[in-house]
Amino acid sequence: MFLQEAPADTLSYMILGYIVILGTMALFVVRLALRFRGLRRDLELLDELERSEKR
Amino acid sequence: MADQAAVVPVRRGAFGRAVAAVVWKDLAAEFRSRELLGAMLVFALLVVLIFNFALELDVRTRSTVTAGVLWVTFAFAGTLGLNRSMGAEKDRGCLDGLLLAPVDRSAIYFGKVVANLAFMLVVEAIVVPVYSLLYNVPLLVPGLLGVIVLGSIGYVGVGTLLASMAVQARTRDVLLPILLFPVVLPELLAAVKASEGFLQGLAAADILPWVNLLLVYDVVFLVVAWMVYDYVVEE
Amino acid sequence: MDPMPKGLKALNAVTGVLFVVALYLVLFYAPREAVMGEVQRVFYFHVAAGWVGALAFIVAAVSGVVYLARGDHRWDRVGLASVEIGIAFTLINIISGSIWARPVWNTWWTWDPRLVTATVMELIYIAYVMLRQGIEDPDRRARFGAVYAIVGFLSVPLTFLSIRIFRTIHPVVIGSSDPTAQGTFDMTPKMLTAFMFSLLTFTFIYATLLWHRLRLEVLSERVERRKIDLTAGGL
Repeated sequence: MFLQEAPADTLSYMILGYIVILGTMALFVVRLALRFRGLRRDLELLDELERSEKR
Repeated sequence: MADQAAVVPVRRGAFGRAVAAVVWKDLAAEFRSRELLGAMLVFALLVVLIFNFALELDVRTRSTVTAGVLWVTFAFAGTLGLNRSMGAEKDRGCLDGLLLAPVDRSAIYFGKVVANLAFMLVVEAIVVPVYSLLYNVPLLVPGLLGVIVLGSIGYVGVGTLLASMAVQARTRDVLLPILLFPVVLPELLAAVKASEGFLQGLAAADILPWVNLLLVYDVVFLVVAWMVYDYVVEE
Repeated sequence: MDPMPKGLKALNAVTGVLFVVALYLVLFYAPREAVMGEVQRVFYFHVAAGWVGALAFIVAAVSGVVYLARGDHRWDRVGLASVEIGIAFTLINIISGSIWARPVWNTWWTWDPRLVTATVMELIYIAYVMLRQGIEDPDRRARFGAVYAIVGFLSVPLTFLSIRIFRTIHPVVIGSSDPTAQGTFDMTPKMLTAFMFSLLTFTFIYATLLWHRLRLEVLSERVERRKIDLTAGGL
């Protein structure tokens, strides 16, 4: 086999694939981070409410 | 130690009696009202009718499509029946009375499975001849009937367990198909393929893997459901 | 809010490093595949994501069993966290598989056992979440989640088997290529290195995300309790 075909040009598919893979993972992490932030804010709010109740 | 000796003779017959009691309660209630069977039957016949218009059930395609149409019909009607059967249980509070009895909770499970299976088989026993008449397809093949029974057992086995959970949720009606269909898929696929095999008179070697899968599925899930049912009806 | 434990900080760092190395390996170190070209590089993370999905499912099922056996609420948290991660990574597996299939087989979807099983698994995961969302009582929610995780887990191998049998009896011709080909290619040693390293990296990613998600759940429960205390105290 001395005349081998060049491999198919599938770079665009590879890029699409990596965007999906890395993007989804990033979205998951971002969502976790946002939920953490929201909960910490809730906790602060609850602390404040408690303080104002006690007065 | 002493009270163990007192408990053992009570337990030996009690399980079977409890199962029979549950079955009898459901069958008797249904015999009086016929609500459940009526709903399932009308629904099933409507589905068969709709398939006539949705698919080209002409003579050529009929033989390849019949198994699929039948099982889709059974699956949908089965879901309806399970929902109503387990929902009624919760609504009428019948479950509480059963739970007070000093018997293994799984007796309730097996009782419900037998009752639900009976309902499903009755509907199937009517739909199959009706389909056969409407589309002129001979369906009184013993292999097919056996597959219908086997497949229904697995379907009702898993369905009863999942329905027991689904009816306790807010989203009760929608939830059962969502829970059931992904899990019962191998059973349905095997049932359709085995049915097809018997209808088309395929070689035993082609049908056997599917029948084996049906058997394995039925055994695995009946055993698992039996083991976990306690946790589903705990208060 | 408790500060991040040292162990987690270390894990974050290790996972970060592993991930960067893995990216280098799959994008640059591994050679370009001779026939399908660059798109084959998607394969490494595609399989690794599929592995995480399967791992997540196993962990969820085992957690379910332990929770039912011990009633320790922490195992329920593990189950929920694991399922959420499983949903994300199985989705990655399915979509990347589809993207890989397109140039290789000229189709966005192949009905091969692995892709279909992954999809069914994803549906089961989603059903798990929907079941939990419909239940108010936390104890019941945990129990039902555990039961469904177990039932779902057991059905997946049977689903895979059923579709495998389906495919051996009815080989499907995909596009113009050989129906028995699974898009296989021979892995050179460098590719194997990238592949194994990807699996390792994704396992670490799973563990890291699991830990973070568990901490989130603990925090969430804390906030809920405070809310209840506050409203109860205010009465």
